[in-house]
Amino acid sequence: MNTGMTGQKRAESGNRRLLLALLLSYGVFWVWLAIDPLNRRDWLLENLLVLTLIPLLILTHRRFEFSLTSYYLIGLFLMLHAFGAHYTYAEVPLGFWLRDLGGLSRNPFDRIAHFAYGLLLVYPIRELLVRRAGIAGLWSYALPVCVVLAQSGFFEVLEAIVAMIVSPELGNIYLGTQGDEWDAQHDMAAALAGSVLTMCVLLALSSCSRGRAKRSVS
Amino acid sequence: MDVSRKKLVSAGLLAWYVGVSVWMAQTPADPQFWLIASILPAFFVVVLVATYRHLPLSPASYGLITAFLTLHTIGVHYTYAEVPVGLWIDQVLHLGRNHFDRIVHFSFGFLLAYPMEELFRLSTSVQGWVVYYLPVMTVLGLSGLWEIIESWVASAVHPELGINYLGSQGDIWDAQKDMAAALYGALLCVSVLMIVRALRGAQSELQSETAE
Repeated sequence: MNTGMTGQKRAESGNRRLLLALLLSYGVFWVWLAIDPLNRRDWLLENLLVLTLIPLLILTHRRFEFSLTSYYLIGLFLMLHAFGAHYTYAEVPLGFWLRDLGGLSRNPFDRIAHFAYGLLLVYPIRELLVRRAGIAGLWSYALPVCVVLAQSGFFEVLEAIVAMIVSPELGNIYLGTQGDEWDAQHDMAAALAGSVLTMCVLLALSSCSRGRAKRSVS
Repeated sequence: MDVSRKKLVSAGLLAWYVGVSVWMAQTPADPQFWLIASILPAFFVVVLVATYRHLPLSPASYGLITAFLTLHTIGVHYTYAEVPVGLWIDQVLHLGRNHFDRIVHFSFGFLLAYPMEELFRLSTSVQGWVVYYLPVMTVLGLSGLWEIIESWVASAVHPELGINYLGSQGDIWDAQKDMAAALYGALLCVSVLMIVRALRGAQSELQSETAE
């Protein structure tokens, strides 16, 4: 009994140490990319989201603790975003390289980030919905996709408002449409595809493990 | 309301919708657009009829859905940018564009958030604020999906017209404004629902107090 308790405690403090390491490494990465961004004002605009999300995650950590997997996925997405913000998305070198490689007409890094948004964040969202709201069954795979799509739509609306209010010139950089009139739709479709992919993989994994459990019982 | 009354109301609403659809199918302004834009509602109605036995919604929900589908059917008959009511509103208020499409996007949120709330209440075990959060997110998510599908249809049918095919009427922010309109509609519906329930709760509390 006693050893069980200490074992659990040890696992908890191990988790906490890993989380602190994750936060610290993200902090270092973020500061490094904050030193000399391509466009300081656009960088600030892009980081408003990060500067609300991370304090929110830290403050709510006691009330709702995500799994380590979720924190890693969120960290990975935020690193990708910090990278994009540093280069104002449309100018990310990796994106130029991909553009030349695939013969594309525009830098695709922003689209990759939208895809990653769905791919990486649908899992934490599902965890929140399952554990906090008690959603189960097929709903627990459909609703996270819906939430990702809704947030993408909301983000596009916010972008439009920012672009209309803030100087139109910065708005254009921030939007990064790069002359694509379907930019908003393509961004949302990318996030949708990412979230559907993750949910399909998760569904396949869970039905596989359920099948294995059944077989081992019989 | 007893079961047979409910059934009667649902059947009446279905009859109304079929009647309006048949009437509006006569000489639509743009037959191709009419056909494409009628596929999804028809499919939706078939799903509703098929799930009626399994998961019947309340007559209020069916009424709201019918109201929304009626608006859509009118918009599709005239093509959204040319609906007479919208043209009239434009003339009276000098808006510069036909706002009927925006009204229908708003109605999508305002009229369909309640049926969605009911669906989640009946088929999941959600409680508390999530009951109100999920319909809003679903409305916004489906609006986004609608804009994506629209863009695919436009690229497939009339690539040379680009965003103008969608009745954006020259507005580059059309997709964003449509989604925002649906979001406002859903938020309004959910707020009304919360206020009504809070008032009802207070009333029943008052009644039980006086009964004691």
